[in-house]
Amino acid sequence: MPRHEILVVGGGIAGMEAALTLGDMGYRVLLVEKEASIGGKMVLLSKVFPTLDCASCISTPRMAAAAHHPNITILTNSEVEQIVPRDGRGFLARITRKATYVDAAACTGCGECEAACTVAMPDLFNFGLTARRAAHIPFPQAVPKKALIERYGISPCSAACPAGVKAHGFVSLVRAGKYREAFHLHMEDAPIPGCLSRACYAPCEAACTRGGLEGPVAIRAIKRFMVDRYYAEHLEPEYGPPADRRAGRVAVVGSGPAGLTAAYFLGREGFEVTVFEAAAEAGGMLRLGIPTYRIPRAVLERDIKNITALGVEIRTASPVDSIRSLKDQGFDAVFLALGAMQSRRMGIPGEHLEGVTDCMGFLGSVHQGTPPDLTGANVLMVGGGNACIDPARVALRLGAKRAIVQYRRSRAEMPAHDWEVEAAMEEGVEFDFLRAPLRFIGSEGQLVAAESIAMRLGDPDESGRRRPVPIPGSEEMVPADLVIMAIGLDPGTAPFAGELAVGRNGALYVDPHTLETSLPSVFAGGDVVTGPASIVDAVGQGKRAAFQITRFLRGEGLVREAPLPGLKAVEVEAALGRSPSPSHRDPRPAPALGPGERSKSFAEVEGVLTEEEARWNANRCLDCGGCSECMECVRACPADAIRLDMRPREEIVEVESVIVSTGFELFDPVLKPTYGYGRYPNVITAMQMDRILSPTRPYSRVIRPSDGKVPDRVAFVLCAGSRDRTVNNRLCSRVCCMYSIKQAQLLMGALPLAEITLYFFDIRAFGKGYEEFYQQTRAMGADFVEGRVARIEGTEEGNLLVHYEDIAGCGCLRKAEHDLVVLSVGLLPNPEALRLFRNGLLTSDPYGYVEEIDEDVNPGKTSVEGVFVAGSSSAARDIPDAILHAGAAAAQAAAFVEVGRRLEG
Amino acid sequence: MMEKRIGVFVCYCGGNISDYVDVERVRDSIRNEPGVVVARTHMFTCSDASQQEMIEDIRTHQLNGLVVASCSPKLHLFTFRAMAERAGLNPYQYVQVNIREQCSWAHQGDMERATRKAIRLVRAGIAQARMCEPLTPQRIKTVPGVLVIGAGVAGLRASLSLSDQGLSVFLVERAAEVGGWVGKWGKMFLHDQDGSSIIRELLGEVGKRENITLFTQTEVVEKSGSIGDFSVRLRVLNGETVSLKVGAIIVATGFDVYLPEEGEFGYGQEGVVRLPEFKEMVDRTDSEMTHQGRRVHDIVYVYCVGSRREGTPNSYCSRYCCNAATHEAVCAHEKDPTLRQFHLFRDMRTYGKHEVLYDRASQANSVFVRYREDDPPVVERENGRLKVRVKDQLLGNEEIEIGADLVVLVTGMVPRENRSLVDVLKLPVGPEGFFNEIHPKLRPVETVVAGVFIVGASQSPKTMAESVASALAGVAKSAALLRKGYVELEPFVAMVDPDRCVWCGLCQEACPYDAIRKLEIRGREVAEVASSLCTGCGACVAVCPEEAIDLSGYTDSQVTAMIDALALEA
Repeated sequence: MPRHEILVVGGGIAGMEAALTLGDMGYRVLLVEKEASIGGKMVLLSKVFPTLDCASCISTPRMAAAAHHPNITILTNSEVEQIVPRDGRGFLARITRKATYVDAAACTGCGECEAACTVAMPDLFNFGLTARRAAHIPFPQAVPKKALIERYGISPCSAACPAGVKAHGFVSLVRAGKYREAFHLHMEDAPIPGCLSRACYAPCEAACTRGGLEGPVAIRAIKRFMVDRYYAEHLEPEYGPPADRRAGRVAVVGSGPAGLTAAYFLGREGFEVTVFEAAAEAGGMLRLGIPTYRIPRAVLERDIKNITALGVEIRTASPVDSIRSLKDQGFDAVFLALGAMQSRRMGIPGEHLEGVTDCMGFLGSVHQGTPPDLTGANVLMVGGGNACIDPARVALRLGAKRAIVQYRRSRAEMPAHDWEVEAAMEEGVEFDFLRAPLRFIGSEGQLVAAESIAMRLGDPDESGRRRPVPIPGSEEMVPADLVIMAIGLDPGTAPFAGELAVGRNGALYVDPHTLETSLPSVFAGGDVVTGPASIVDAVGQGKRAAFQITRFLRGEGLVREAPLPGLKAVEVEAALGRSPSPSHRDPRPAPALGPGERSKSFAEVEGVLTEEEARWNANRCLDCGGCSECMECVRACPADAIRLDMRPREEIVEVESVIVSTGFELFDPVLKPTYGYGRYPNVITAMQMDRILSPTRPYSRVIRPSDGKVPDRVAFVLCAGSRDRTVNNRLCSRVCCMYSIKQAQLLMGALPLAEITLYFFDIRAFGKGYEEFYQQTRAMGADFVEGRVARIEGTEEGNLLVHYEDIAGCGCLRKAEHDLVVLSVGLLPNPEALRLFRNGLLTSDPYGYVEEIDEDVNPGKTSVEGVFVAGSSSAARDIPDAILHAGAAAAQAAAFVEVGRRLEG
Repeated sequence: MMEKRIGVFVCYCGGNISDYVDVERVRDSIRNEPGVVVARTHMFTCSDASQQEMIEDIRTHQLNGLVVASCSPKLHLFTFRAMAERAGLNPYQYVQVNIREQCSWAHQGDMERATRKAIRLVRAGIAQARMCEPLTPQRIKTVPGVLVIGAGVAGLRASLSLSDQGLSVFLVERAAEVGGWVGKWGKMFLHDQDGSSIIRELLGEVGKRENITLFTQTEVVEKSGSIGDFSVRLRVLNGETVSLKVGAIIVATGFDVYLPEEGEFGYGQEGVVRLPEFKEMVDRTDSEMTHQGRRVHDIVYVYCVGSRREGTPNSYCSRYCCNAATHEAVCAHEKDPTLRQFHLFRDMRTYGKHEVLYDRASQANSVFVRYREDDPPVVERENGRLKVRVKDQLLGNEEIEIGADLVVLVTGMVPRENRSLVDVLKLPVGPEGFFNEIHPKLRPVETVVAGVFIVGASQSPKTMAESVASALAGVAKSAALLRKGYVELEPFVAMVDPDRCVWCGLCQEACPYDAIRKLEIRGREVAEVASSLCTGCGACVAVCPEEAIDLSGYTDSQVTAMIDALALEA
């Protein structure tokens, strides 16, 4: 356990003063700061009253001195979670070192990550006046000057992807115009971006936070744009087989999305991978099941090149019927990704008539180049899943007169995706809900009609859906030239039944974590395990299988848990909370062929976004997780210091005494709605004004936020949130009068012609040199108006009407117009201080500050023996008083330690 | 001499310099000066990141001279010396050039000429650095004892804390009784603690400490030596003197109450009293308040008496009086709830948590009337009763008259008369007469006399709690100084060349620190400098007719070279 003598919680000016003084006395001090830099709020200020010293200039040497002091250890980005008094003497403190995702020891503070980062966040250092990157250095004088990455968790879109595709990542890359990088990022997680960009059901979009506003970010359409652009520029992959080969031969059975994905990741690892495909061409369901108007075959072919470029061999027309045969060929591991392509039968009369087929049989014939001629035909689809929609739409394209989908439940229960049903309806597919076939009627072995019966919905069945119940006497007959049954698909695992454990409906049994079958070295994934699912689910399974097979081949053993605890998905509410009022931006959908046009041909229905549209859509992203995981910082960092796998860790330290210097909070003027903060952009807080006036200011000069106009009339509203029972703070905040006067002076220097007005009701210039500073400011021409401000209204030009009571003048209500209003917000207690100790051990005064139990004689002494409070944790204080108070706390802590040691020793 | 390798770093100071001086041009103009091997600019040379980069430069270029052109050395001399040391460079081979206070801020309207001046200043710094020799600071063993002057609440409390930390304390009080103002008072704001009880308890505790020696009716009459090792002489009223060795001195001499002039707001008339006297009256009263045997019904407080008077030495705000007056009104009300109290104030400065005193007074039969400085209340006597006329702002400046049994002048704090102590300690005094700190923001208890700290109301008006906090801050600084056991003194001391010296004695006369003695070497009388006493002021150098004395770090040849550099056109 690290040994320190005194713990100082909070590295603002008071904490630094206490730490430096105690360090000089010879004590080993641990200074813990939750922010990324020590310096607290003082280093953020422009100048300080009444001397007008540059705040940076006088606080940075303190910061550097603390950082270099031989007796002081500083932990930034760290929070003291709990302090527990030990029996006898001293304390144990539990400290969380927050994850910064940057190795501080390696980081040189060069800022390359910041330049590469694709996510802009509000710059908290500048109190939201400007933006900074998710990867950033807090401010130029930060101590330590190290980068960190703002990261709240995994963005909902990325977290929703079964294949782990970093949706937020590629969206932010597209937003930044880094299309090639976006493509490569996608390739880290899924190798068939072309197919996914067309036919993925996009669970990412369903999770998108914008979905609750104007509609989700069109993530799939953005992907389509990025893929098409990349493929247009790169007809072949940019890579070849990996240079480092590894021992190990893997047979992948099936070249659908699961098989291709597994082959890709195994190929990248350097294993020798052979894919066995029963059909004449690779692609599995992507080729046989999905029509070309959704996935053009050129796109599929190009996707497959991503895999074969690695040296993966795909043997088509090569069905595999036993594991043994593969073992005999010398494969060390097998991945079975057979898919689920066997249509279920209904078991009703007439099923074997000519003209009754199933969806895979029908689509297979179409996709293998032998489509039936359906000119003028009546085609009936039976089923309610996605598998019945595509055959219906294909039938119309093949000239069918009518294409009817007959489903035994209602629209609400249909498993097919809504948008697929919509598209089919637009093209003229008819839907016959609550009806099921009873028998198919033929003539000379050839189908001519189907008889069906109406259903009603009864009680829910085991799947939770309401069970359809036939309505007697509702039989009907429709003419039919072709019936396509699409009531379900099962894996075709019969050949392996002797070798492997097979479950219900022919699905292979696997360990759900490792995907290993009942036979060691044999893995399975995709539809053959899950039953019919989606492309992206299969990709996810293939990826996981590759991970486990890689471990198996390396002899590392399979893992049932992720080696690293993942970050949590960001909650939509939390994401919205961080950007409370995003500007309204409507999504721009991808172009599509009109319904009349598209049902005539197999041309791709959906078009591609233009570059401008793609970036517009990408710009709608709210960056829910902060960092988008685009990996640009990882690529840019010359010191290799980015650690996205960093996680918070805890430390326990033992100390003899504690100084609490957690500082204050600023009043949030949103709580005073009559002042219009948050509603009118030109109503700002004094802290924002201090930033605007600071040497490290966000703008090059003093301008107002709404339109960049240089203000001519600036007003300060004093006591905003102080001496005000309506916001539950009767106390005076002590510093607001003086900082407002200071800002007035600085403004008069920066804008010599501007009118500066201060609305006050007592000017509290009580410290050394303060009254003189106040009188000097009056003499310089600042207008001090005695009167409390009632409310502030915006004008169309962005100006502000300040309504106030003119106490010293007419005594009546008046109003005045200003270009910019500064709310001189007050100081409030920081509730974190009290949470350091459990069970109310550390007591507070009636206002929520840490209580000084004997302030008159023992400043800094708290309710906990050996714990002292310094600075604004116990009362609003200006800098000199905070310094004095911190000095007192340091003396108290030293006396406590010395007296205790004498008693012991 | 070793080849000089000098690094020059010019600071933007985030616009404080670069807004008025073309910093890049300054760098470009001096980069080819003889000896300069590296020249750069930085946004904030004082920031940790820039310091790291300069350390890299010092090491990479093996610098043996360093110039930073930034702000006043008062601010950052020690910052950059420490940086030089970390980089392995002798800290006395560092030269700070002030192009902020002495250039950019002084010439804000003329960038061209400000830039040319900055170039000359930097060249002079380079000239100085070219002749900088490595120096070693003098290390002095510190005495683990502290002299505390003034045994009011601040001095007493400081003594106890010093004693807690194992330091010996000599507590000196000029008066016969300890306790200062607080010892005279009863209930005090903000926590209603009894002042005299606090003093009694502190004094009782002081009496128990073996390492605290208390002297009353005693004054400090002599001080010599330097930080960490002072010799002081005390004189007790009975004429006895005591010599002591201490490592640090804490000055806690407190304040005095403003004494109004005769007639100022009726002062001098019967029934017109100062706040402290009124407080003693309230403390003495149990229920109904009487004055001169007559029941008191109406009290008028006039605020800002002796405070905030522009154009007078009392132009400052006395800070404690609004709090004390409102608190006293509450105390008086508790004793006699029928009292009617009127507060004539300018700005009610019950800052911070003291706001509750204002609240409480408002709820305790107190009426508050705001007056303007240019239209102050008038206190008169009419038909044997006091009457106060004032224009009430809330009533549209209508004049009102308030009859009063007592008029309380809410008097401010003024500095104590301490002329002899100021002379002995060479304490810096501000325009109002309070002692001056090194830096009002960050170093409020330190003074330019190293090792001498100012605490409590001797530095500026303070409340009791604030005085005690500042006293403990002084303790912390003393302990930080003394517990290390040694202190390092600047090596900038005068050196006598015995071959040139003819002992005329002028230097000894000129030396304000008694650091020069006559010595006989090989039968010749020459001057010798006691380097632990020498402060490097240079007074002896200037008067020596033989040019036999030089100041290390600021030799005549260095200064001449600097003047030559300054004289060159930029």
